[in-house]
Amino acid sequence: MIRFEKRESTSTSLKILIPTVSIILGILIGAVAILLKGINPIKVYQALLIGAYSSKYTFSETLVAATPLILISAGLIVVFKMNFWNIGAYGQYIMGAIFSSYFAIFWSPHIPKVIMLTVMVIAGMVGGALWAIIPALLKAYWEVNEVISTLLLNYIALFVLKFLMYGTWRDPLSHGFPLSKPFPNNAQLPRIIPHTRVNLGLIFGIIAVFVVWYLLKKTKFGYEIRVIGENPNAARYAGMNVAKNIIIAMIISGALAGLAGMVQVSGIIHLLQIKINPDYGYTAIIVAWLAYLDPIVASFFAVFLGGLASGAYQIQITMQVPFGIVGVIESAILFVLIGSEIFMRYRLVFDVGKKKHSGQEETL
Amino acid sequence: MSGAHHIVLIVLFSAAVQSGTTLLYPTIGEIFAERSGILNLGVEGMMIMGAFFGFVVTYITRNPYIGFLAGVLAGGAAALIHAFVSITLRGNQVVSGLALTIFGLGFTNFYGQRWINLRSPVTVSQMSVPLLSKIPYIGPIFFKQDALVYTSYIVAIVMWFILYKTKVGVHLRATGQNARAADAMGVNVYATRYWWTFFGGLLAGAGGAYLTIAYAPFWLDGMTAGRGWIAIALVIFAMWDPLNAMVGAYLFGGIDALQLQLQAVGVTIPSSLLNMLPYLLTLIVIIIATLIVRVKHISAPKELGIPYNREEK
Repeated sequence: MIRFEKRESTSTSLKILIPTVSIILGILIGAVAILLKGINPIKVYQALLIGAYSSKYTFSETLVAATPLILISAGLIVVFKMNFWNIGAYGQYIMGAIFSSYFAIFWSPHIPKVIMLTVMVIAGMVGGALWAIIPALLKAYWEVNEVISTLLLNYIALFVLKFLMYGTWRDPLSHGFPLSKPFPNNAQLPRIIPHTRVNLGLIFGIIAVFVVWYLLKKTKFGYEIRVIGENPNAARYAGMNVAKNIIIAMIISGALAGLAGMVQVSGIIHLLQIKINPDYGYTAIIVAWLAYLDPIVASFFAVFLGGLASGAYQIQITMQVPFGIVGVIESAILFVLIGSEIFMRYRLVFDVGKKKHSGQEETL
Repeated sequence: MSGAHHIVLIVLFSAAVQSGTTLLYPTIGEIFAERSGILNLGVEGMMIMGAFFGFVVTYITRNPYIGFLAGVLAGGAAALIHAFVSITLRGNQVVSGLALTIFGLGFTNFYGQRWINLRSPVTVSQMSVPLLSKIPYIGPIFFKQDALVYTSYIVAIVMWFILYKTKVGVHLRATGQNARAADAMGVNVYATRYWWTFFGGLLAGAGGAYLTIAYAPFWLDGMTAGRGWIAIALVIFAMWDPLNAMVGAYLFGGIDALQLQLQAVGVTIPSSLLNMLPYLLTLIVIIIATLIVRVKHISAPKELGIPYNREEK
């Protein structure tokens, strides 16, 4: 007989071992998927590694992809801690991009750069936060399921973006393509590593990670959301305002996702278009879970999954390996990670020939 | 009203039933998974698997019914991953369901490239039901459809009967309300949850397969386009009742058919706003449904999303 026995405490070594094993198994399952398509997985992974980490430039592209993941996952960790399932970073990211782009497109290119960028950063955060407040209010006051509301708002945000890009925000000089006019220099985030696309957004990400870490570890707010996450009823009895905390947490989460959208258009693309990679909003969920909701650990996983994404873009072009392989690998990692959490709470016991077990670890 | 208007409306409502069928199957499936206590947010992923395998097998065998069966089984197979992670390993059901959606979309993108924009050589043929199809209005809308639509009516009615009128239904509901009590009644909680999660996957696959076999007989990357999420929302709208699910599914099928019709006749509303309509209305309806559910004191199955551990007291 094999059974699970409750652990007294979770060991830290498992917190390292499980994500590592998950990633290895995810990569192996990805290899099987590639093999089934008749392609040599070793060659694919080789090209992927070269495309993600081999040179200064390719690694800089990994950091470019990691930047939005760092920002978004830092925000998601805040809400996930209280068991609030914000699946809407995708839409909040789009709204951040739209709000900040408004100023880049319609304001004068002669406004001093510092002012313009400050306005755009604030606008991006406000856009994301406003989009996040909707499901927060719906949940806090009417108990509307936030998974469904945040997801539906993702689709709605995407169609708002399409509406603008096929409408009044389209550049008359774009030959009918759904592109805005290019951002003037005063609306472009400065680059911090020469000859790469790594920009000030990465610094924003690092700041966000430490702010979130501080909030969670050192403030009353951080304490309250942890209690709410673990036991909402106990939190209510203790006099904590659950609704208020949901709203504040979602404002933080949405603002950081919105800032990621701003960084993408202002720092990387330099115009607004339909394809601004909002899928970072979903990948960031995986980042947050791999890190067991630790913002500092999450930033390292962001670099890992950012590398996977940027490497996969390369092999899609050079080897015609569809980008969907990233989804296969990421989902496999998640399944193994989620499935293995049982080992954090229980240990496997093999009792051969024993009819009775002590049972003392069984009780809650 | 002139005869031409009648025909336009009947065409529209008939399209609403077909679009609604892509939602009805998955909604009923998710109702039963949730009734057993398993929240499966992977409906979108299971639907796209069903849509893909349904399309490919129909294309190869030139038999839409074999294709449909393949789509159904693909959805069921995908659900088993979620069942294993959330029932046996007691993993987080929200995250596992999201992983299933990421998996389905990634898998079909990865293997689906060479099928993109291919049209299905065959489709399911329409057959009129004798007598019933002669009923004014109702007949041409509901009874001049294809066999897969009729199957969905039967599934809704039979599943309603099973849920409320049979011992199987009692055990299922008990499992979702209070797994320990159900266990004490002699119900095998694990087996019940496995089976209904699998069943939910079969029906999600059916909805996806109906999409690529009948409603839009071609393959496009990510073509379920959020229908799985709408189905999850419809579960609340339906208050976990399979017959209510029919109302919700056809309502949203109607909105979908209407926006396509409006685009086809070239109204001046931008298509992006028309495309947004089903999602926006789902959001509004889900808010209203949640409020009604609260006032009526109907609640989700009490132990929805909570893993069961037989050995723990």
